[in-house]
Amino acid sequence: MSRTISIDPVTRIEGHARISLQLADSGAVEDAKFHLTQFRGFEKFCEGRPYREMPALTARTCGICPVSHLLASNKACDDLLAVTIPPTAEKLRRLMNLAQLLQSHALSFFHLSSPDLLLGWDSDPAKRNIFGVMAKDPELAKQGIKLRQIGQTIIEMLGGKKIHPTWVVPGGVNEPLDSDKREAMLNMLPEALTIAKDTYALFKTMVPKFKDEAEHFGTMPTMFLSLVSPKGQLEHYDGFLRIKDAQGRIVEDRVPPSDYPRIIGEAVEDFSYMKFPYYKPLGYPNGIYRVGPLARLNNAESCGTPFADVALAEFHMLQEDSGPVRSSFHYHYARLVEIIFAIEMMQRLLKDPSILDTRVRAHARGNRDEGIGVAEAPRGTLMHHYKIDEAGLITWVDLIIATGHNNLAMNRSIKQVADAYVDGNTLSEGMLNRVEAVIRCYDPCLSCASHAFGQMPLSIELKDASGAVIDRLVRDA
Amino acid sequence: MSATAPWGDDGSHSTAGGSAHPEEGAAAAAFATSATRPLRALVIGYGSPIRGDDALGPLVADQLETRVSADPELSARVEVQARHILTAELVDDLARAERVIFIDAAANRAPGEVSRQRLAPDASALSTMAHFHDPRELLAWCQALYQRVPETWLVSAGGADWGYACYALSETAQAVVAPMIAEVLSLVGAEPDTPNTGPETYS
Repeated sequence: MSRTISIDPVTRIEGHARISLQLADSGAVEDAKFHLTQFRGFEKFCEGRPYREMPALTARTCGICPVSHLLASNKACDDLLAVTIPPTAEKLRRLMNLAQLLQSHALSFFHLSSPDLLLGWDSDPAKRNIFGVMAKDPELAKQGIKLRQIGQTIIEMLGGKKIHPTWVVPGGVNEPLDSDKREAMLNMLPEALTIAKDTYALFKTMVPKFKDEAEHFGTMPTMFLSLVSPKGQLEHYDGFLRIKDAQGRIVEDRVPPSDYPRIIGEAVEDFSYMKFPYYKPLGYPNGIYRVGPLARLNNAESCGTPFADVALAEFHMLQEDSGPVRSSFHYHYARLVEIIFAIEMMQRLLKDPSILDTRVRAHARGNRDEGIGVAEAPRGTLMHHYKIDEAGLITWVDLIIATGHNNLAMNRSIKQVADAYVDGNTLSEGMLNRVEAVIRCYDPCLSCASHAFGQMPLSIELKDASGAVIDRLVRDA
Repeated sequence: MSATAPWGDDGSHSTAGGSAHPEEGAAAAAFATSATRPLRALVIGYGSPIRGDDALGPLVADQLETRVSADPELSARVEVQARHILTAELVDDLARAERVIFIDAAANRAPGEVSRQRLAPDASALSTMAHFHDPRELLAWCQALYQRVPETWLVSAGGADWGYACYALSETAQAVVAPMIAEVLSLVGAEPDTPNTGPETYS
C-alpha cells in the first residue's frame, strides 16, 4: 500500500515549501520531493520595464537579502552600460555584500538552526525555538543579535537604510563613504570578530556530537559551483566561475560569469515552481551541483585573511579523504568560516585609504542589448541576465538564485535523510524534524521575502493509495 | 568581471592598505558608539513604503525625526527610527530604552481611527517569519535576554488603502499624521510608567 507523508509547511526556512515522502508497504521511503509552493513571476512581470528599474524591482524579491539582488542586478546593468565602475565603487559594493553575508549567516546559524543544534532534533518541539535557545544559552542568542545588528548597521550606514537600500546604482554607487562612517564601522568590527571566533570555537567542539547527522545530511557526491578570485581564493563579488567534481577535480575554471549559459542549464519539474539548474555537459539530472558556503569553501584554495584561513584549513579536515567536504550538514560550519572572513575582509577594505575616494560612479547610457551580473549571495551564486530593446526596455529576464542551484541537491538530501531516519510505521516528530533540518542546512531562500521562523504549524499525514488518511501528526502554531 | 577588483597584482586578496593581521583586543575595547547610550525614549515607526497607508508608521517617524532633530532638548533623550519591518536586532535597542513607542497602521480599525495601547511581552506572539516580528515578541526577547522590558506603547491608526505599488497615503491617512505625532509626543513627554488605561481610541 503506497503512502505519502507531507510536511507542510517546512519550518525555520525562508518562504513556503512542502516536503512529501512516498512510503512503500514496508514503511521504507521510496521517494522524497521538496515542493516550492509559491509562485512569484518576477522574470515575466519585469518585461517591459526600463532596465534602470531592475535593481529596485528585483531587490523586492527578498526582504532578508535584498543586497544580493541589488548587486547582481546592478552588475547586469553595468554590463548593459558597458562601463567599468570606479575602483572605490567596487570596494564599497564589496563592503555592502560582506555586511549582507554577515547578517544573513548570523540569522541562519543563531536563529534558524541553533534550536536544532543546541537543543537537539528530538527535543520538545514546543521549546525548540529561539526562546528555547535564549533559555539554554542567552549569551549565544545575544551574540547572534549583535552580529546581525552590526551587519545591518553597516548596510544602513552605506545604503541609507537596512532594508532595500538604493545606494548601489548602475555604474557604481551614488554616494562616497565619509571618514566618520568609516571610523564607526571600523569600531564595530573587533567585537564582531571576537563573537565570530568564539562561536566558531564553540561549534568546533560540538561537531563531533553530530557525527550521525554529518553522515546522513546530504552526504553525497555532487559538483560544487562558485565564484573564485583570479588566484582561486574565496570570492563573493566578482572573479570567475569554478566547478569542482565530487573528487575535488576542477572541471571548469576561469569561466567568465558572462559565459554561464554555456555550462548551466535549467530544467523544470511538475511538482515545484522552483527551477532545477544543472551542469550542462553532464545533462539533467546527472549534472547535480551545490552552491553556497560549502561550495565556496570547497572551491577556494585559500581565503586570504588570517583567521579565516586557519578556519578553512580546519574545515577541510572535516572530510577524512582528500576530497571536498561532502556533507551538507557542514554548511553550518562553512557559514561560520565565512562570517570570520567577511569581518576580516571588511576591516581590510575599510583600512584601505582609497575607500574614501569620491569618484564612485560611471555615467553612461545603455550600450549593449544584453547584460549579465553574477555575485555570491549568502546562499550561493546569484545570476541576473537581462536583454533590452533600443529604448532600454526589458525584453527578457533570467534569474538563477542560489536556492535554485541547490534544488536537485536538496531533493536528494531529503531522500537520504528520510532513508536514514524515517520509519513509516512509527512516525515521530523528531524524525521528521531531521528531514526539515537538512533543508535548513542549505538555508534556502524560497520566496526571497520571508524567513519562516520558530513554531509554524506542521501537519503530517499518512495516506493510503486511495488518498484516505490513515495516520496524522499535527503540530499547532 | 571588472578590471578593478581589489586583488593584488597576483590576483590574491593582499590589497594595498590592507592589514596582514586584524587588530583585536584594544580595538574591541574602543567600541563605543551610540549603540551603548541609554535612551530615554525610542520611537519606531514601521510599515511598507509601497503599500499605501501601511507607510503611515515610517512616514510619521520621518516627520517626528525632523522635529526631534531640530529640538536639542528632545534630541538629547529621544531616538526615532523608521523601519520597513521589525527585525531581531532591534531587541538590543529596546533593551536600552526606558520607553518605547511603536507607530503602525492598522487594518483592523476603522479608517482614520487613532488609538494608543500599552504593549506587554508575549512569547506566544512568536513570528513565523524572521523578516518580521510582532512588537510583543520582541519585548519577550528583551525580557528573556536582558531581564528588562521598557514601558511600551503602540500608537496606531486605521488605514483606508493598502494597494500594491501604491506610494501615497490616502486622504484619510494623511489626516491622521498630525494627531499621531501629537500622540507620540505626549507619550514622549509623559511621566514614566504612565498607567495603561486600555486602548484609547478617538477619530
